Amino acid sequence: MHILHGTWIPQSGDAFIRSGMFYLWVETSEPARSRHPKQHHPRQLPIEDLAALLSNDLGIKPPDYRTLEDLIEPRYFVLPTIDNEPLPSLELSRYLEQELPESFEFQCWQVDCYPTLTSIKTGSYGTEQVNGIVPLLNDLHFIALHNLTDVQLGADLLFWFHFTQALKRIVFKDQYIPALKYQKLAPPKSTNSKENSKRKKTSTSSSGSSADKFQVYPGWEFIGEEYKNTLQQYVDYMPLVCAAGFAEPPKTLEFYDRPSLLRHFSECWLTDIVTHTPITQAIKKSMDGSILDGCLHPSPWPQSAGLEQYQQWQAWRDRIIRTQTDQPFHLYFHLQDPPKPSDAWQLQFQVAPKHDPSLRVSLDDYWRMRPQQKEQVKQQLGEAFEQNLLMNLGYAARMYPSLWRGLDTDQPIGITMQLDAAFTFLKESAWVLENAGYKVIVPAWWTPKGRQRAKVRLKARGKSLGGNDKSKSYFSFENLVEYQYELAIGNNNVTEQEWNQLVNAKTPLVQFRGQWMELDQDKMQQMLEFWKTQQQENPELSLLDFMKLTAGSEDDALEVECDRQDALADMLAKLSNKQQFQPVDDPATFQGTLREYQKRGVSWLQYLEELGLNGCLADDMGLGKTVQVIARLVQERELAQQQHNNNLPPTLLIAPTSVVGNWFHEIHKFAPHITATVHHGSDRAKDSKPFKQACLKHDIIITSFALARKDAKLFNSIQWHRIVLDEAQNIKNPKAALTKSILKLSAPHRLALTGTPIENRLLDLWSIFNFLNPGYLGTQTQFRRSFELPIQKNNDRRQSTTLRKLVEPFILRRVKTDQSIIKDLPDKVEQKLFCNLTKEQASLYEAVVKDVEEKLQAVEGIQRKGLILSTLTKLKQVCNHPRQFLQDDSDFTPERSHKLTRLTEMVEEAMDKGESLLVFTQFTELGAALEKYLRQTCHYNTYYLHGGTSRKKRETMITEFQDPETDPSVFVLSLKAGGVGITLTKANHVFHFDRWWNPSVEGQATDRAFRIGQKKNVFVHKFVAIGTLEERIDQMIEDKKKLAGSIVGSDESWLTELDNDAFRQLISLNKTAIME
Amino acid sequence: MSQFSRTWWGQKFIHAIEKITDAGRLSRGRSYARGNKVKSFEIQQGCITAQVRGSINPYFGVHKEPLYHITIEFQPISAAKWSAAIALIASKASLISRLLLNEIPDNIEASFKQLNLTLLPGSTKDFSASCSCPDWSNPCKHIAGVYYLVAAELDNDPFLLFELRGLSREKLQQELSKSPLGQALSAELQLEKQPPAAVTSYHTPPETLPASTGISMRDFWHSAKRLPQTMEPLPNVLVSGIPIKKQGDFPAFWNRGNSFLEVMETLYQQVKAKGKL
Repeated sequence: MHILHGTWIPQSGDAFIRSGMFYLWVETSEPARSRHPKQHHPRQLPIEDLAALLSNDLGIKPPDYRTLEDLIEPRYFVLPTIDNEPLPSLELSRYLEQELPESFEFQCWQVDCYPTLTSIKTGSYGTEQVNGIVPLLNDLHFIALHNLTDVQLGADLLFWFHFTQALKRIVFKDQYIPALKYQKLAPPKSTNSKENSKRKKTSTSSSGSSADKFQVYPGWEFIGEEYKNTLQQYVDYMPLVCAAGFAEPPKTLEFYDRPSLLRHFSECWLTDIVTHTPITQAIKKSMDGSILDGCLHPSPWPQSAGLEQYQQWQAWRDRIIRTQTDQPFHLYFHLQDPPKPSDAWQLQFQVAPKHDPSLRVSLDDYWRMRPQQKEQVKQQLGEAFEQNLLMNLGYAARMYPSLWRGLDTDQPIGITMQLDAAFTFLKESAWVLENAGYKVIVPAWWTPKGRQRAKVRLKARGKSLGGNDKSKSYFSFENLVEYQYELAIGNNNVTEQEWNQLVNAKTPLVQFRGQWMELDQDKMQQMLEFWKTQQQENPELSLLDFMKLTAGSEDDALEVECDRQDALADMLAKLSNKQQFQPVDDPATFQGTLREYQKRGVSWLQYLEELGLNGCLADDMGLGKTVQVIARLVQERELAQQQHNNNLPPTLLIAPTSVVGNWFHEIHKFAPHITATVHHGSDRAKDSKPFKQACLKHDIIITSFALARKDAKLFNSIQWHRIVLDEAQNIKNPKAALTKSILKLSAPHRLALTGTPIENRLLDLWSIFNFLNPGYLGTQTQFRRSFELPIQKNNDRRQSTTLRKLVEPFILRRVKTDQSIIKDLPDKVEQKLFCNLTKEQASLYEAVVKDVEEKLQAVEGIQRKGLILSTLTKLKQVCNHPRQFLQDDSDFTPERSHKLTRLTEMVEEAMDKGESLLVFTQFTELGAALEKYLRQTCHYNTYYLHGGTSRKKRETMITEFQDPETDPSVFVLSLKAGGVGITLTKANHVFHFDRWWNPSVEGQATDRAFRIGQKKNVFVHKFVAIGTLEERIDQMIEDKKKLAGSIVGSDESWLTELDNDAFRQLISLNKTAIME
Repeated sequence: MSQFSRTWWGQKFIHAIEKITDAGRLSRGRSYARGNKVKSFEIQQGCITAQVRGSINPYFGVHKEPLYHITIEFQPISAAKWSAAIALIASKASLISRLLLNEIPDNIEASFKQLNLTLLPGSTKDFSASCSCPDWSNPCKHIAGVYYLVAAELDNDPFLLFELRGLSREKLQQELSKSPLGQALSAELQLEKQPPAAVTSYHTPPETLPASTGISMRDFWHSAKRLPQTMEPLPNVLVSGIPIKKQGDFPAFWNRGNSFLEVMETLYQQVKAKGKL
């Protein structure tokens, strides 16, 4: 793994013009073995490797004829160091098997750095070099986001990415001006220069400073509140490492001061960018000889020349700054439409203190106030209010000269205007005034929400839903939609004649049926023609195409609408607000109780399937996707039976191996009458004929993703009723053989389940939709062009809204924090995760059982007790992971334990959503292995608390974990050390990796997360190895009533009281539970 | 001619002399003004005195570069009438607002007209000039040269016009302070011209702090606060250069005849379109 770092490094020395350079460097997990000089950073990518990575993996090109190697130069970083080795960054340390020490010292290291220079064509003469960091970071961020390479951005570069984008937004608002810098030179020699004061200014302006020697330097500077605030805000986002780079080894160990470094970068960057913007000859000519010319080609003015121009500039700048900085009030312009269309419009002046906009008062009222009242108001509006008001009105009038008319009095209150002027104001001037810092209030009908638009409405209705067919509540399976076009304005239909009148209206702003609105007559003419040509036909659409049309972007003239009474309107409303779904009743044969939102979920599943649409159930982890699917299976069988159809084809469920057993278990638990079978293992049906027979005998076939690909032929031979993909993100790669074979499966219904927020991972989203509703989101290339690139690279809000509208009807996603969910949820939601044993675990388990069975006959008394207790421990170890039992140094890999696989998957899901979690185990050695695995293999932020943890370290870990600014983390705790006394309320998931005999001990541990201060629901996940003593212990705990009084102690000693047979039964292995 | 003044009042001011002077003298006057021939000029109590380097002209018996003395005086407006005029100005926010922005309001003459006055010189009777040169014509080219420079001065300091018509700055303040609106202007006028803000380095210099011990790995590699989870989109700005537009066109430092704001608008757009952003 490579971690890409970088920061801004100022030039050394104290020259008057002291610039700097942005440098990239790379920290690697596989440092070259070659010997390196002592002060060189041992984990950096050295010149050749760095150049290769930059050009091959990141596509960086040198700015000129030189090679990347030529440009790379040594820079110096003050880094945390221990024993003469720089410590890895936190990002890299997650890939290394190295413990980070608690304390360290700083030392200076030499690092090979690449300056982010890029070439830019400035005019016809050739190219120049400019700091290309802003577009470069945008690209690098995109590459890293998509894991396109083995490169990760360090926190330092991520910071710079965010900061430079913020600066870019300021540049886009033109909040920078040409600047002059005045440098005082050493006092002149006594001779009076002849140049001095060749013409004297008016008496007031002569100043003593003209005798000083000075030099003026042109350049650029940022102005305005946003820049000021951005600097302030981003200092807190800036890691110290960003301030640790130096051009030369610093004499003492030091860092740059972050606020001044940010300022330095911003100023250098702005000047660099503006002075290297290519300009045409025409622009050049238009500023020839002015200070702008100098600002674009900065070189100092002749010594002691240009004082007057400097001061003129200074006065100009000060006025800009003064009017931008806080005046305690806002000036409002309030446009009011006339009651009668022919009357004049009013633009009223109003003011309100910034701290309390509700005290808005019109100037009309203000001038008429009694002196005492006026004084009170003035106190809110600040010192010299009337003067500032006039200045502001004057400035506003400069932006919008019509305002001058309102100022022909000593008590201005507003202006009146005619229709045309009002329209221009709404269209343009309002926007300009708003951007210039004034507040503008326009009539509600002009706001996006209240705006009436002329449009062609596509009026649709479900075809088969005539008035005569009331037996069916939905339209037919062919799901055709009939439609016709209508001309409309806002919500009103308009006749062709009315439309024509409007098209011929002289102004774009008209009052139509008592409501003001804007018309685009040209567009209306086009719409009319479109409508006329469409009148003749009586076309039909597929339901899917119809859904696509309804998601069209807002600016489209074509608007889709349905009769309010029609089933289509009902459908759209339901799909856009899924709260509207009437919860189903618990199916009669369902052995459990669904929560309210789960009932609504089942109802949604049913509805979509009846429409012939396919959806994705994307509820948060822990909300119970599994039970909703099972309930749907039960429900559809009950409904089919009512129609005397006892022969639904089987459903195929494809899931990750680690949850196959859990599915089987849950189906058995909630719907024992649903016949399920697992297609897995070496003795599975391999020929088409027996496979078909097996399928016909079952309601649901459960298999893994691996086999879905391997046995694709078998699965293809069946006409399924439904395909369910659990953890559907497994098919995110459209090119993978797995995805391709799943797409070939044939079934009228498809359902995807996932807990990860797929709407944020666009490629996953496309792939899943390609499975659900092929073609709906276009081809992959189309999708990439119209959504993925604009949204993820250019942060395009419009496209992202369109996409959301497209997919929303098909995704049911409830999150734990939804108010409507919270009220349905207990504060603590417990669920069990049933996992199979791997073959390796099973054979180890059997060996232990066999061994103990032999010995059990021979021992008695205390020895027997000891044997029983040690056996229990050994078996639990096997259930956890073979390595824990073997206690060798073999690999701690998920392949060897389904428990670990499932934990990995669930931790990933929680981390993706920024949630923290606790993992409890009763074994210290397992805790250590888990923590190491989660940190080094999965690269999460982790903590580990066990009996040997020092008090101090324990406190630091807890504080750090709880800190809201810490990344979401995994806290591994040993049940004994972490079971009491501490508060870890940042976690909202608690995992019990192995089971304890006494539920109250588990409960206490769970309460670490569930304490006072916990505002979220806590989800408790308990792992149970299927077919082993764990499952039986679980059963016992469940049935604890039967065992009343048996489970009392907090340990396992009572188990030693069991007789040999009972004990044998407890530990025996059910072989059907093994899964490869 | 627009080269000496870009403001409407400056041009109107120039127009007064251009009406009564022949083209030859005017054009030479302009080259005097441009060519550093005006060695000094001073305005005191409404009276302009200046020294202009003349040229050798054997025809007039001038054999050595002479230095001519010029005075220009404008018809003063009486104190009483000034009081009335200022009172009128101070009753209109539009006039005061523009004066606050350092502009002569284009409708100011309307107020003066009510008092049978004009503010800007319109004809010869509004000013008198003399020059020590041998030219019989008045205004001569030297007077014209000084006149052009005064016009240029007026662009940046419109209140000079009041001074030329006999209203000293102190008196102006006094008159203004009589009305609330006038006080607003008076306060602004009293703002002192700032001395140059000297800087010791072109950019804000990056300062350093000693590397303190006792910070954690996290303090070093990560930030105190987590970065925002979402990023604002780029603003879609329809009109360029709004922040500078409030200050009006042709700022004093802009020494060209074309619009400063137009140039800046183009430049801002160019940066957005072509800059390395």
